[in-house]
Parts: sequence; structure tokens; C-alpha cells
Amino acid sequence: MAAEPVPSEGSKPLSGLLSGIAQATYYGTAGITEELLRGQLYPEAAPEEFRALLAKLTAALKSIASADMDLNQLEAFLTAQTKKQGGITADQAAVIAKFWKSHRTKIRESLINQSRWDNTLRNVNWRVDLKSQSRHIDQINTPVAIVEMELGKNGKESDFLCLEFDEARVNQMLKKLSEIEESISTLTQTT
Amino acid sequence: MARGLRQLDRDTFRRLLAVTVSALEGNDCKDSVRMIAENADLSEEQLAVLISGMYTLLREALRLPLPTFKQEVFKEDLKDLRIPDDFIADFASVVFGNRRPVLEATTLKQANSLPRVKDFQWRVDVAISTSSLARALQPSILMLLKLSDGEAHRFEVPVAKFQELRYNIALILKEMNDLEKRSVLKIQD
Repeated sequence: MAAEPVPSEGSKPLSGLLSGIAQATYYGTAGITEELLRGQLYPEAAPEEFRALLAKLTAALKSIASADMDLNQLEAFLTAQTKKQGGITADQAAVIAKFWKSHRTKIRESLINQSRWDNTLRNVNWRVDLKSQSRHIDQINTPVAIVEMELGKNGKESDFLCLEFDEARVNQMLKKLSEIEESISTLTQTT
Repeated sequence: MARGLRQLDRDTFRRLLAVTVSALEGNDCKDSVRMIAENADLSEEQLAVLISGMYTLLREALRLPLPTFKQEVFKEDLKDLRIPDDFIADFASVVFGNRRPVLEATTLKQANSLPRVKDFQWRVDVAISTSSLARALQPSILMLLKLSDGEAHRFEVPVAKFQELRYNIALILKEMNDLEKRSVLKIQD
């Protein structure tokens, strides 16, 4: 613990503010207003002063997130920001760096989701049944898979798609999925 | 029906049988029935009794599984129904002959079931850059499922979800294989 730098005065409200910005901008939490943030975190700051701080941090976070900066890029960016006139202080830079380290994956994921407008596969449920008899067949006795796919658009309720597969079709499906898998792994290897 | 059959000549019977089998195969037989009605000396009522009787008889016979259903038993049963001997062999050749797989396949298809996948197309997309992310470079899969009920569904699958889907489909296949090995399938009366 001794190695940890002592958090300077004001680092707590600042990281709270960054969380608030992330909630509102990236995680889609509604109801986070400037008023609310100021009242909760910087009750003593003047509204104009707070608005400027909020704008500065939002812009900084936006640049960092949009470029999905790694640690080196982040350090270069923050150093440049501290040197800029009207930029951020070194303390603020430290808080931003810490914040980004813990939120990078989640923010990137949410940004990728923001550019998905089609229906998305949300979940798959399945069960294997044994068909035994039907009105016109005394003994069927073949296994059949019932697959339920949950499809939905961002922020909308899901549709459920219920399908039936016999063994041959499951096999076919698996072959196609392997083709896709191959295609993805070739793509990811070359990049 | 048996009484009606006894008055038929073999030729008309065979034509009626052909129409009935065709109906069991799921074909529309309106025209063929009209042809028979015009050419044969049968009232509409007689024709209705004959065709529906033959249809029901065959449907019931086809319902029974081959391994335990013996041809001799079937022929005996038809005799008990007082069906003319000449026609019994024809009935038996439908139930036990080489048309049976076709008839069974039709029955399976007509059975109550959920939609199936008729066609599956896919594409792997890589978003290069988006309004919110300068360098996204994230693959995702676009899938198009065309179903037997005529509907089509298009949706995106993120890579993580795709792996989950693939794992589950493989698991289903394994479960189905295991199920078939189990003795429950071999029980027959």
C-alpha cells in the first residue's frame, strides 16, 4: 500500500465525475445531468466553472475512447494535455489514467455495441427431444433438437425464434459454423 | 366400403387406388378424381365412400411400423373386412411395397413440427471505423436463416456469442448421438 501514490485532494470527486461521464456517454444510463453531478461531487464549484471542467473531461475521454488508446498512447496524450494552456493538471492526468485502465475494455465493448443496429443474437437455448409417436406414425423414435434463439435490437425487447433440427441438419449447421470459425481465425491472424 | 369394392372391376379399383396413394403422398387429386367420376359408372356418394375408406385403411396400415407388422396379418385383416381377394394383394403392395419410404417421408413432413432451417447464409464483417470508434477492427458475423415456414431472419452475432453458439450446436449433436445409443430406442412391442 505504501507504494501507492497518496491520492491528492479532489481525486475522489474527479474519478466520480469520470464515472458519471462514462455512465451517461458510454453505458447509456439515463438521468445523469450536469446538475446532478455538480450537486453530488462539486457542490462548492460555480456552475460555469463546473461546466468547463465537465466539457474538458468529456472531450478528453472522448479522444481516449475513440482511439482506444493503449498505455503508451495514453501517456503521450495526457502529457500533451497537461502542457497545453487551459489543459489538465498532472493530478487530473493521473486520475484519468487510472480510470481508463479499469474501464477501457468495457467502454470499447459498449462503443462497438453502439455501432450495431441490426438484430443481434442475444442468447441460445436448446433441448433434445425424442419424438416417439404421432397421429399417423406409430413409432418415430428419432431425436430432434429444439433450439430457441433470442434476437433483439439495442434497447428493444427480444424476439424468440424457435426452430427444429434433425440430426442431419445439426450436423450441417455445425459444418457451416466451422467454416465461419475458420474465416474468423484467418482474419484475426493476419491483423 | 367393402360392399362397394365388390362391385368394382379391377381396372377402376386400380385407378382409385392410384388416386388414394397419390393423396397420401400429399398431392392434389381433384382432377384425377373428376376423371374417374366421369369415366366410371359410380355415383358421387359411392365414390366418396370408396376413396375415403381406402384412404383411411391405408393411413392406418402405414402408421404401424414395418418390423412388427406382418404382411400375413394385414391380409387376414383385410379378409375379415370382406375385401375381395383380388384387391388384397394390391393393398398389401402399397403398404409393404417400394412406395412405402416415399409415403413415410410425406407423413413425417406433414407431422406437426416447428419451422426448420431451409437455407443458412453468412458473412463475416469487420468494422474498420465507426462514428464512435476510430479503429474498431472487430469482426462480427451476419447470419441469414431462411425457414421452412417462409420466414427469413437476419441478425448479427458478436464473436463471443458465435463461439457460444458453435459450442452449443456441437453439444446438441453429441447429445443426439448419445441418445440414439441408449436402449430406450430399441424397445419395440
